[in-house]
Amino acid sequence: MSIFSSAVEKPISTMMVFLAIVVIGVYSYITLPVDQYPKIDPPYITVMTTYPGANASDIEQNITKQLEDQLNSVDDLDEMTSTSSDNLSVITLKFEWGINLDNASNDVRDAVDKTMDALPDDVDRPTIMRMSTSMMPILVYAVTADESYTGLYKILDDKVVMSLNRVDGVASAYVAGMPERVVYIDLDPNKLDAYGLSIDRIGGTILAENRDVPGGNIKVGIEEYTLRVEGEFDDSEQIGDVVLAIGDGKTVKVSDIAQVRDTLRDISLEQLVERENGAILLVTKTSDANAVQVASDSKVVIEEAMKTLPSDIHFEMITDNSDFIIKAINNLTDTLFYALLSVVIVVFVFLGRWRSTFIIAMTIPISLVVAFIYLAVTDGSLNTISLMSLSIAIGMVVDDAIVVLENITKHVDRGSRPKEAAKYGTNEVWTSVIVTTLVTIAVFFPLTLLPGMMGIFFKPLGWIICISVTTSTVTAISLTPMLCSKILRLREKDQDKGKKYSFYNWSQRMLDSLDNFYERIVKWVLKNKTVTIVSMTLLFGASLLLAKLISTEFFPQNDQSTLTVYAKMQQGQRVEETKRISMQIDSVIRANVPELRILTTSYGSEESASFASMMSTTGSNIMNMRVRVVELKDRDRSVFEIGDDIRKMLKQFPEVIEYRVQFGQNGSTGNTVDLEIFGHDFDATANFALEAAAEMKKIPGAEDVIISRGDDKTELQLYLDREKLARHGLTTAGVGSMVRTSIYGYRNSKYKEEGEEYDIIVRLKEEFRHSISEVENFIITDGYGQKVRLKELGEIREGYSPPSITRKSKQRYIKVTVTPGEDATMGDIADAMKEYVSNVKLPQGITSLYVGGTYEDQQESFQGIILLFILAMLLVYIVMAAEFESFKMPFIIILAIPFAFTGVLLSLVLAQVTMSIVSALGCLMLVGIVTKNGIVLIDYTNLMRERGYRLYDAITMACRSRLRPVLMTSLTTMLGMLPMALSLGEGAETWRPMGISVIGGMIFSTIVTLIITPAVYAATDKSGSRDKKKSEQAQYRFMDEFDAERDLPEHKKNK
Amino acid sequence: MKAVMIIFNQALTERVDYILSQLRITGYTQFPLVYGVGSKGGEPRMGTHAWPEMNSSYLTIVEDDMVDLLLKYVEKLDHVNEENGIRAFVWDISKMY
Repeated sequence: MSIFSSAVEKPISTMMVFLAIVVIGVYSYITLPVDQYPKIDPPYITVMTTYPGANASDIEQNITKQLEDQLNSVDDLDEMTSTSSDNLSVITLKFEWGINLDNASNDVRDAVDKTMDALPDDVDRPTIMRMSTSMMPILVYAVTADESYTGLYKILDDKVVMSLNRVDGVASAYVAGMPERVVYIDLDPNKLDAYGLSIDRIGGTILAENRDVPGGNIKVGIEEYTLRVEGEFDDSEQIGDVVLAIGDGKTVKVSDIAQVRDTLRDISLEQLVERENGAILLVTKTSDANAVQVASDSKVVIEEAMKTLPSDIHFEMITDNSDFIIKAINNLTDTLFYALLSVVIVVFVFLGRWRSTFIIAMTIPISLVVAFIYLAVTDGSLNTISLMSLSIAIGMVVDDAIVVLENITKHVDRGSRPKEAAKYGTNEVWTSVIVTTLVTIAVFFPLTLLPGMMGIFFKPLGWIICISVTTSTVTAISLTPMLCSKILRLREKDQDKGKKYSFYNWSQRMLDSLDNFYERIVKWVLKNKTVTIVSMTLLFGASLLLAKLISTEFFPQNDQSTLTVYAKMQQGQRVEETKRISMQIDSVIRANVPELRILTTSYGSEESASFASMMSTTGSNIMNMRVRVVELKDRDRSVFEIGDDIRKMLKQFPEVIEYRVQFGQNGSTGNTVDLEIFGHDFDATANFALEAAAEMKKIPGAEDVIISRGDDKTELQLYLDREKLARHGLTTAGVGSMVRTSIYGYRNSKYKEEGEEYDIIVRLKEEFRHSISEVENFIITDGYGQKVRLKELGEIREGYSPPSITRKSKQRYIKVTVTPGEDATMGDIADAMKEYVSNVKLPQGITSLYVGGTYEDQQESFQGIILLFILAMLLVYIVMAAEFESFKMPFIIILAIPFAFTGVLLSLVLAQVTMSIVSALGCLMLVGIVTKNGIVLIDYTNLMRERGYRLYDAITMACRSRLRPVLMTSLTTMLGMLPMALSLGEGAETWRPMGISVIGGMIFSTIVTLIITPAVYAATDKSGSRDKKKSEQAQYRFMDEFDAERDLPEHKKNK
Repeated sequence: MKAVMIIFNQALTERVDYILSQLRITGYTQFPLVYGVGSKGGEPRMGTHAWPEMNSSYLTIVEDDMVDLLLKYVEKLDHVNEENGIRAFVWDISKMY
């Protein structure tokens, strides 16, 4: 027994099966986490090494180069870039997408281990991190306080940060610019000299004293005791009491020659919230954690903590990534609901009957709910991509049910009992229903094969559509006939005729006149085939010219109501000056951006390389600003327009050398075009970069032109005289390390208090190391125990060094990064840049130029999409050729596809939307929908031909009778996408292009399909069928002598 | 009106269709598979292991003047290869709805 007869015979079982699916689906829906995008595990591993006190060149030569040589051989490595800056080497390894990052991390660790011997001794062990975009902060708070400000950091650290770090999924919570506690031991060099002590020795003594040593167990009587030697300092005061030497019966204590300060680390980073002192609390999540979940858990923790905090401490949200995600997802869910509603309305208008509409509408939730089950099983989430896929699917899942229902209704109208009609009606159409589904799958299945980052986004889309369309087919041949058998009612033939105001009669009348109108068009087209085909081809050709008007973009950017401003001023500028200018910028922004909600500013730099310093560039001449504007619905300007405005304001400040305005959190994945300048020589590359940057600024729409390497900064260089060194039994390394301990300090020992460890820094007092002459007067103990002044060994010169050295694939390079402004796109900028690259003469010292950045990813992705098109077209051709048993028919159908693109181009131009991955994806979907229309027309025409109608009659009849199904499938898809295209709320930038391109493409291609398909069919078929007759005759020789005119009796001749 | 029943090896189906279409005989009923044996020689058509071939059959009701024409071409078809076998039987129609 076939599936549909079983379904009709056992309505309760059928209902229960679908009920079970719905129950599981709804359960899955409830448990699904919410996220912005599908889970991404970006294939980046970062190796971070700190070597305090070294400058960029030292770091490059001694650390980065060594590590790079080993890391270069790691498997599956795609690209290696590095930045060597003062104190810090950061190597970023980009792997192929989709590899196992655990294995990769292990390989990286092995490579680092091999390098360890080659690295300088006092280098900290390199940290290996899986760096990803999701490590960007998901929550940023501005914290302000009145009376408690002095203790704010300590309070935050104790009460908030600690508990936040315990939250599942939080990678780290930290307070930006939080001062650290340290114990300074400031030595007086004259006293050292007097007592004959060296810094190393003092440091060594403190280290040796600050020890707890377990002494073993001793047994006393019946008891057993452990014996411990207790030396660790319980109080930083105790450090002063450490005895360094005994001379002449007198003890020399630390406090005699040094000042012990238990204090905060000297920092110069200042954080302002709304022009007042405050702190910034950042929470980042691990890459596999769910942003919404982590954010809500963290908020609970902060709520809890706030109860115990002093009442004057206030938290103000600057960035809440989860808020945006939730709003965007809600927005999309609304869109989905409107799509459902409009599909139901279309079905009602066409069928004109409530009962039928209800039956069709039932298939929608069932097909969608199965998609939720798929998501739950594959560990997916409710995200932009999955909900977008569902929106697309809504218009498609009703098609099969409509075909089945139409056929059943036909039988019912003929007077069959609904139960019989359901069985036999389904039997007649079920194979063709499955074939149309196969075509849809042929288009969307290739999406599931996409590799790389595109795959992560579009695999779910492919699967969801394939699965929901398959489900809709199964539903159409089981649930739909069952419901028909129960719900449809036998009507007396003329029941409706008497009713004047029946909606059914009205809608059918309207549709009838539409049918007649279309029939007239088809007749005209058949008479003027050549005119039609030629004019359509010209139209398509003309539309290609429109492509020039459309700019391209990688991925549409979202308005997340936040932006960050980075401004760099003169290298070496004092923090006070940076503060003054920052306050001016602050005032200008306040005066000119009425949408402003909260603004935080920070300037100055943190001393050591911290986690936070990887997130943003700091420096005494650098200002970083976070701006939050009011909610999207409360303002007219987009955050991008505001950003452009702020850029204009920054241009007014002559002090600001470079500036960058970024939107949302994903600053690193923003749309940028990079000019990469390779060359070893610093001066040559720097000069060329400056020149190039000046050229780039001339490109219209180019904003935020940033040179990756900052200006050279002054440094003092100590040149030692080797002869003198030798005479004193010294080496450069020895002198170097003595200088290092004097200035940077001896930092091996830690002071412990309440479970926390703080550095003990032994070094010269500030006043003895703050001028060149002081440094020249450093006393060095030579190899013979004699004391020499540093100036006797060499001289100190002023020099310049680059603040950071960036390398890619082991070669030095500088990047000139350009961000397209509001009225330009990456494509434009990249074109201008390419032209520059091809025309410019490379000066000496520049090895090569290269245009990269996000633009490169965009190119790769578009290539991927084109490949996908070809694959989809081939699969569609295969399915159709098999269905029609013809090589020719699929071509007639595929012919309509280019016209869909005409529609896409037209709509993109009209709606002022860019061509991005999303709109390209819309084009891909069109392939499936357009071919479906063609199939419906061609299939029926073939049917009419087989039934013996003459060519033109067959075409006209087929077109007339298939107009409604074609319009219906097109309209359901279009109206399903309409809410997407019109959506304006949070996150709408992502899916609007998809809606617009699909609707534009659909309108155009539907009209074209309806006109050009009959014309092409007629043009190609003629000769074929005449030949067929002749070859048929040849096979039946035994009837050669038959002549219809002569042999047939009169009454037969006229038939 | 006469009823003509044509019984033939199913391999001849397309050729019989051709005769009917050429003679513009539009009304007929087909029995796609029938078993049977001829009384004047010919192999049994039983669809069994021993006799795997099968016959097909048409029953068509035609005007009297069409009968001879139809039989003429049935006979011609039979002569193309007699191993296939095709026979036509004609009887009267006394009443019709």
